[in-house]
This record gives sequence, structure tokens and C-alpha cells, in this order.
Amino acid sequence: MARDVMLTERAPGVDAGTGRIDVEDVHKVFTARRGGAAIEALRGVSVGIRPGEFVSLVGPSGCGKSTLLKMIAGLLEPSSGRIAIDGVPVKDPRRSVGMMFQTPELFPWRTVLKNVLLPIEIFRHEREYHRKRALELLEMVGLDGFHSALPRELSGGMQQRVALCRVLVSDPSVVLMDEPFGALDEFSRERLNVELLRIWEDARKTIVFVTHNINEAVFLSDRVVVMGTSPGQVLSVVDVPLGRTRRRTQQMMREPEFTDCVFEVRGLLGL
Amino acid sequence: MVKAVNASGSPETAPAPTAPTAPPAPPRAWWARAARFLLRDRPELLLSPLALVLLVYLWYVVTSAGLVAPVLLPSPSAVGRALKVLLTAPWFPPNLWTTLLEAILGFLIAAVLAVAVAVLMDQIRLIRRVGYPYVVVLQVMPSVVLAPIFIVWFGFGISSKIVVSVSTAFFVILVNTLSGLASVPENSRLLMRSMCASRRQTFFKLTMPTALPYVFAAFKTAATLSLIGALVGEFITARSGLGRLLTQFSFALRQDMMFATVLVVGAVGIALYGLVAFLEKKVIWWR
Repeated sequence: MARDVMLTERAPGVDAGTGRIDVEDVHKVFTARRGGAAIEALRGVSVGIRPGEFVSLVGPSGCGKSTLLKMIAGLLEPSSGRIAIDGVPVKDPRRSVGMMFQTPELFPWRTVLKNVLLPIEIFRHEREYHRKRALELLEMVGLDGFHSALPRELSGGMQQRVALCRVLVSDPSVVLMDEPFGALDEFSRERLNVELLRIWEDARKTIVFVTHNINEAVFLSDRVVVMGTSPGQVLSVVDVPLGRTRRRTQQMMREPEFTDCVFEVRGLLGL
Repeated sequence: MVKAVNASGSPETAPAPTAPTAPPAPPRAWWARAARFLLRDRPELLLSPLALVLLVYLWYVVTSAGLVAPVLLPSPSAVGRALKVLLTAPWFPPNLWTTLLEAILGFLIAAVLAVAVAVLMDQIRLIRRVGYPYVVVLQVMPSVVLAPIFIVWFGFGISSKIVVSVSTAFFVILVNTLSGLASVPENSRLLMRSMCASRRQTFFKLTMPTALPYVFAAFKTAATLSLIGALVGEFITARSGLGRLLTQFSFALRQDMMFATVLVVGAVGIALYGLVAFLEKKVIWWR
């Protein structure tokens, strides 16, 4: 199938990083203005993420999981400690790292296709190749025929699919997702999770996925980083023994390994 | 089981029998359908113009019964005659043109200046911090009070009216554009940053399109305000223009001509507003 060839091959113009992420003893302190109390958002966080691994950050609100994600993205600077992607310290955002938010952030004045191609325009990459790639990605998430629709004509789930295509179109080696399906209804969320796994199995990107949904985290991930609050810190990293290469389906949620894993994470979070 | 409904309205079960069905009801006449539409679905289409007709009729009754002196309130027919005199007078087009020119130039200059200042304030933090208190104070000041000062500075000609027009229309555009530029969602900004977009790319691909609806909302208000500015300037002193005609007719106690001029001013205002609203639909096509 030509489609699979296109999606697994590296797009031209992208530095073919492998997507290893090293977070070493990272602290983050937000200092309030006018001499208010400093808030310790993260204390001594160390995580190593292997190339092509799917890792979830799970924890209650205020555990600093989004802060950690933004620091990996180069959108925030750690107060101390070191974050590196493929051995290169993160100082600024980089093109090989894509980011997805809870809101789709599609631009209402762009068609679906032009929204997907936004990173290509910004990177000034070759257009014709990526136009084809974008159309294939849209087809893959079930949006073929919608390329000339406007965002307001799509449902919330469809909009988030477009956002998924947008982050994948430039073929980044790392994809950072900040509760990407958190605003969707349960049905759309589960469908998108299955689709995300299928895409990840095809394209083998490093994915860091922030969520507060434990089932979702265990269902998707190779490893779950369980985080706690005040200060934000890593409580434990739970391995999900469900196999990387085997295709995961909702059926998996019935298996005892899945349930054990969910209860282990719940236990760590004191639930 | 599929149910079908025949022309007489009684349900039948499928498969439909070949038995002859009742002949269809004859289509209603077009005027019957039109009346039904007007009376039941959209009564405002009829009642709204009717209200105007009633008002004019009331006006007619009051004036023809001699309840109000014609010097104070001319009859509708007198205003109609005055309007005809006004529109056919050789001195009318130059006066109309003067006011139009002042209002349009005033609007355009205000639009360019206000948008430029807003973008500078949005992009350069120092300018924003220094300038913002002045914007807050000046926007609540009724800028028409500056009109006499501008007349002294810029003379009795058209340029002083353009300045008054600019000053009346400027602040609404500035304030709205500023809030439009500031209305970019935080996550959209982060998205652009995560894609390593340059400032220029972020401005043209995100910030400017986000602000455009705010800018055009302000343009619509400013179109009317620029006309008001031009007229106020002409009220103070002018050689030509609709505002000058109004003051002259006022001195001459020609209420009929004043009413006719007011109608013309209203039409000009509606035309300017409509033009901007038309442009808005073209530019902000995605709404």
C-alpha cells in the first residue's frame, strides 16, 4: 500500500532525530509578581523516554504534568535541571517536536487542508509533497472529502482529528499531547484513542501524552508516569505489560493485566 | 412495514395498491399563499412599514389640522417639496460632495492611523506601557469638544473638518483593534511558538486574522462617527457642506429645508455604513 510507505518514510527537510527524551532532576518554581509566595510546580523530576515510546503523564490537577510537557516542548524553561532531546539540551521549541493541545486551535479562516498544512507553510517546506501527505493523513483519520470544509462545519471530535493531522504532517520525531481528547465526549475519545494507537504503531513516534484519565493512560502507554501534587513530583513509573507491538483494542480493557495496571496506578494516586 | 400517505391524508400500508387515489387538492392561488406567508410567518414585513406610514400620517394630521405652527413643524408634503428643491438645486451637489469627501477622508485617515498605532502598541511593549493610560483617558473624552480648537488650527476650509472627523472616528478603531489583537487564544500563541513561527508569521497568520472581525466592527461605528465629525466641524464654521446648509436653513427659519437636509444626511450615513458592512462580508468571509 502506497499510503503506508508515505507515512513511515521520513519527510524531506526534517532532521531525522530518533526522539529520545531525557529529563534530569528538573525543578520549576513560579515566582509570583510583587513579592508573593513562590510556587514550587515541580521538584526533582527525572524521566527517560526511549525513542518511539508512548509515555503518559498522569496525575491530579496541579501536579505539574502540563508544565513538564511545556518544558519538553521548549515553551517554558526549567528553574534548574536538564532536559534534552536526542542529547541536545532544549532551549527553544524545535521543528522535530510537535505539540497538540486540549483545544484543536484550528484557524477558522483556513480550510481543513490549509489548517493541516500550517506547519509546512511556517517551515517553508516543499508544498506539493506535503499536500499529498496531508490528504493521506486526513483519509487515515476518516476525514477524506472534508479537506475544503471550514473548521466551524466540523464536530469537536473531527476538529481534533484535523489537529492530529496538523501535528503529524511535518513528521516530527516527538509528539507532545496536552490532554488532547479531554474536551471530547467518551465515544469520540475512545475512537480517537484507538486511531492514535494505530497511527503510532505505523509511524513509531515518541509520544508524551498528558491526561488525568487513568484508563486512557494505561490503554495507550508503554509506561505511565504517575505524578503527585504539592510540590509536583514523580511518584512512580508504572510499566504496562501489554506488549508494544500487539495491536491494542478496547477488548484489552477486559484483560486482567490491564485491570491490575489500572489499580496499581490508582493505588499510587491514593484512589 | 412502510407507511405511505396518500393525497387525502389517510395512511396506507405498502405495497401501495394500484387503486386510484383521490385527486390532489387544487393548488392555492399565489396571492393566497403570499397573504398567508405575510400574515402568519413574517407579519413584521407588513407591520414595520405600516408603522412608518402611520407615523407620517400622524405627522400629516397634526400639521394639516394646524395644531403646530408650520415654522416649527412643516407638513410631510412641504418636506417632500423641499427635498425636491434641494436635490435639484445647482448648489446641492458641491455641498454634498464636500461633506462626503470630509467624512470619507476622515474615516480613511482614522482607520490607517488607528490600526497602525494599535499594531505598534501590540507589538512593542514599551509603546504599549507608555501609551495605554492615554488611550484609556482619551477614549472617554468626547472628542467633538476639540472641534473649535481644530478649526482655529486648521482654518475654515475642508482640512479642519477632516481633522475633526479623524478625531471622532480614531479612538473607537484604536480601542477595538487593541482588544482584537489581544483576543488571540493563549493556546494558539503556544501552537505558533511550538512550530518555531517567526514574529512576522505569527502576526500575519494568526494575530491579524483574529483581530479583523473586531476591526471591522469598529469600522462600521467609525463610518458613522466620521460623518458626525465632519458635520460638527461644518456647524462651527464652513464655506460648504451639508452641515453648513443646515445652519443656513436654521438661520433662515426654513424648517422644511432642514428636514430635507436631515433626510439626505441620514441617507449618506446609511450608505457609508452599508459600504463598510459590504466590505466586512467580503473580507471576513469565514464568519
